[in-house]
Amino acid sequence: MRNKVIIEFNNVSKKFKKGQKLYLKQALLDFFKPNVTEEFWALKNIDFKISKGESVGIIGVNGSGKSTILKLIAGVLTPTRGEVEVIGRIGPLIELGAGFHPELSGRDNIYLNGTILGLSKKELEEKFESIVDFAELSDFIDTPVKHYSSGMYMRLGFSIAIHINPEILLIDEILAVGDLGFQKKCIDKMNSFHSQGKTIIIISHSMDIVSTFCEKAILIDKGKIREVGKPEKVIAAYNKLIT
Amino acid sequence: MEPLFSYKDLFWQLTFREIKARYKQSVLGYAWAILVPLLNLLVLSIVFSYVFKVPTGNVPYPIFLFVALVPWLFLVNSITSATGSIMANSSLITKVKLPREILPLTAISSKMVDLLLTCIVLMIFMVIYQIKFQPTLALIPLIFIIQLGLITGISFILSATNVFFRDIENILGVFLTIWMYLTPVLYPSELIPSNLRILFFLNPMTPIVDAYRNTIIYGKFPNIGELGYSFIFALSLLVLGWIYFRKRAKYFADVI
Repeated sequence: MRNKVIIEFNNVSKKFKKGQKLYLKQALLDFFKPNVTEEFWALKNIDFKISKGESVGIIGVNGSGKSTILKLIAGVLTPTRGEVEVIGRIGPLIELGAGFHPELSGRDNIYLNGTILGLSKKELEEKFESIVDFAELSDFIDTPVKHYSSGMYMRLGFSIAIHINPEILLIDEILAVGDLGFQKKCIDKMNSFHSQGKTIIIISHSMDIVSTFCEKAILIDKGKIREVGKPEKVIAAYNKLIT
Repeated sequence: MEPLFSYKDLFWQLTFREIKARYKQSVLGYAWAILVPLLNLLVLSIVFSYVFKVPTGNVPYPIFLFVALVPWLFLVNSITSATGSIMANSSLITKVKLPREILPLTAISSKMVDLLLTCIVLMIFMVIYQIKFQPTLALIPLIFIIQLGLITGISFILSATNVFFRDIENILGVFLTIWMYLTPVLYPSELIPSNLRILFFLNPMTPIVDAYRNTIIYGKFPNIGELGYSFIFALSLLVLGWIYFRKRAKYFADVI
């Protein structure tokens, strides 16, 4: 059961176009010119497997392709080549302010976001108190979220995401925003998720979190996998890379 | 992958979000939904009944106009809002896998509140101008569905294209204004010169506007042939628009 592969990347590549023409004027001007759009491979020939219940850290310098991997797992991006296979209910990509509507209150946003993430209205009513408690926002729940601080945003986002009870949790460098107390709470929650046999994938620049929390790490450099394996080994490779 | 969403709940939540956010954003809130059409009606009625004197038989010009203006403003509002809907929800596009069609669709559905409000005003006008409520009113849902299909097809195409060419939003206003002048909203279709008639009736909105007038004011059945053309046009556009939208939707997150 534990060794069942639930995420598989088969020779995945993702190409972006640099300087894409987003305005008609440019498109018209460029029509008479040779093609100026440059192609840029964010990921090249990526192969890896993640089994059920694993906790995986993805590390690498900025712009190496970490977030692209997470977005491919979340199904937000489509690979240019290769195949991405994911089995199970994926949580949202936890980033700052996923889909919050600034004019609406925290309460309205919980209902809205919860529905976007797949909960029915009834399930949300049952979980509402617990979401607010975990996010520590009882006093501000009827305030429009545009007045929230970035920490409050993140707490609300994280709290909603863990309450939808996903089988795969994707976290993109958000723990940096919360204070230490909340960070600890998040890690505790992630640990309890992990002990329930759920799969957690995090992107982090904090090697502490990766080495203490993850069982496996992947080092990405310029769109390619440099190293996969035990966190200590991969972190050592990362440190060598950046020095 | 097991389905992550209850699409029905999602559709309603997103629609209510649009409605609620709009209501909260301005002091007058939904009063605008009535005030804007009334201001339009006032100005256009003055220009076209006193200055240009458009002949409308024994039907007063304001009611003649309003019957067409109400569905036309719904078309303008919903297409405008749907066209920007993908960009307005960019944070959702890049974080959650959700059927992207739902964004233009909820943009359109949330504008139905405005439509409902203006329809109430229209009914009040009909009472004031003593227009009889004809049995042909029962055909309005049918005409409306054809119009809705047309709107949805156009919205699929424009919202998907707007992600890649951001100035679609800016050009749209001009395009919609030109379209209104080429549709018999401000004038009766009988005024169209007979040699241009075919050209005007290639416009799928012409039979639809005519049908609204016939059923609401004159108690006449719509011209089945002309309305049938609009129906086929709307249906084809809806299908083609959806196919096009799905193709482009794969790349939304790439450029947002």
